[in-house]
Amino acid sequence: MFHWLEKHPFFFAVGVFVTIAFAGLVEILPNFAQASRPVIGTAPYSTLELAGRHVYIKNSCNACHSQLVRPFKSETDRYGHYSLSGEYAYDRPFLWGSKRTGPDLMRVGNYRTTDWHENHMKDPASVVPGSIMPAYKWMFANKADIDTAFAEQLTVAQYFSVPYNEPVPMRDGSKKIVKMGASIAEANELALQEAKLIAADMRDQDVKDAVARGEIPEIVALIAYMNSLK
Amino acid sequence: MNKLYLGGIIFTALMLILTYLSVGGSKGGLNDDIVNVLAVTGAIALVIITVFVVIKYVRQMQVDTASGELADENWDGIGEFKNSVPTGWAVMFLLTMVWGMWYFTIGYPVNAYSQIGEYNEDVAAHNAKFEVKYKDITGDKLVEMGESVFLAECKVCHGLSADGIDGKAANLNIRMDEASVKAVIENGSNNQLIGFEMPMPDRNGLMNANTGYAPITDAEIDIVSAYVANGFSGKGADIFAGTCASCHGEDGRGVEGLSPNVREFDIALVNNVLTHGKKGIIGVMPKFDRLNDKQKEAVGAYIVNISK
Repeated sequence: MFHWLEKHPFFFAVGVFVTIAFAGLVEILPNFAQASRPVIGTAPYSTLELAGRHVYIKNSCNACHSQLVRPFKSETDRYGHYSLSGEYAYDRPFLWGSKRTGPDLMRVGNYRTTDWHENHMKDPASVVPGSIMPAYKWMFANKADIDTAFAEQLTVAQYFSVPYNEPVPMRDGSKKIVKMGASIAEANELALQEAKLIAADMRDQDVKDAVARGEIPEIVALIAYMNSLK
Repeated sequence: MNKLYLGGIIFTALMLILTYLSVGGSKGGLNDDIVNVLAVTGAIALVIITVFVVIKYVRQMQVDTASGELADENWDGIGEFKNSVPTGWAVMFLLTMVWGMWYFTIGYPVNAYSQIGEYNEDVAAHNAKFEVKYKDITGDKLVEMGESVFLAECKVCHGLSADGIDGKAANLNIRMDEASVKAVIENGSNNQLIGFEMPMPDRNGLMNANTGYAPITDAEIDIVSAYVANGFSGKGADIFAGTCASCHGEDGRGVEGLSPNVREFDIALVNNVLTHGKKGIIGVMPKFDRLNDKQKEAVGAYIVNISK
């Protein structure tokens, strides 16, 4: 067989390619599949959180804030556990960022709360003296785009098998079910329920009134997203 | 003696003389330096080996005849002899396979660099150092450590001077303000302030012994709130004694396993808030269980110190 191969360079080349490609697949694919699988405790984004994520992207928060904790003691002391690739399984696109003008936000939900975000987005320097972050006052007036968030949910559920309405394992051993509406109306209703919980912890009367009327200001969606980052 | 060998020997000698002249003749020479000696020895060995290996093959080209069995393959008239595998090469090949198996199963997995591994070692080393250095830290040093932790972790909400930044978070210079006391009396509390859940009832479950165990009234709430918030001074001592003292103690310093200290901060109280987080009238405080025990104790000592 080797004599035959030596006489047929084309088939020899094909044989070499197949051998190396197979070895590559065996080495790369299992690792890659393992690393891209969601880790326990990573749940899909709810409609409101996804709308908040869109607000985050729209305002280019990722230009100044990273979402990636590197495995250094100095970083894990400040931001919590270093990031695992599986934690980004439901991030489309991921928002790692490449520059930290502000702090990392990968796990901001662990150490900041709704009321703090509200103060901070309205006037950052009031809670962080000397902060150079601009105020984002328009988020208190603009309405979040729930329809687009729902469209994204539908798409990722259908094409990437994101487990909506299915139990997802959490770190404490419990299961969490992230609901997705069956229709736009139901999705808006779910988002509003979630928004009411957020608004209850907020101070801004305009925001509270808007949520009571059934509208969802961008700030509520953004805070829902911030709180989900853990 | 073939003239090829003669030429080789002369060339080698010439190279050695040149080496001697350039090294041995220069100022300092080998200077008894092991690196210099090794380098020169290597150079000499290289010259000798190169010359004689070249000579061997030139000689072979001159005298060798085409003999031996030809392989089947023939490329445009160029053939290949079937040579047996050279022993040295075969041994090296087998050794390489053995080394490969070792490297694949032990060599790489055991010795490979891992970023996470380095991180784990860093953390372990730091924790061990921390443990030893701050094992017996007490008093002012503990308060200082608490201040540094406070400035890193707590000031973002509670402010540089721990005053809560105009009501954006709790003012830690005092144990509780009037509004907080009032909110707790009216709504009850279940904040794991003593380390585990121990619900305090809302106002419907709070009776005043002085008024024949009637539920606490609005007026009484106002008075006792002011009394507690003002550091147990002014009027209201009788209401506190009749309603609150049965759980929180006569002096309001709490009862072990039953109630938290409502008179002043203590280290255990702060420790429990840091471990479990808390929800008050202002909002939610997240837990800070990433701080280690010593750091929590230090924050407690700092807050006890500033709230004196």
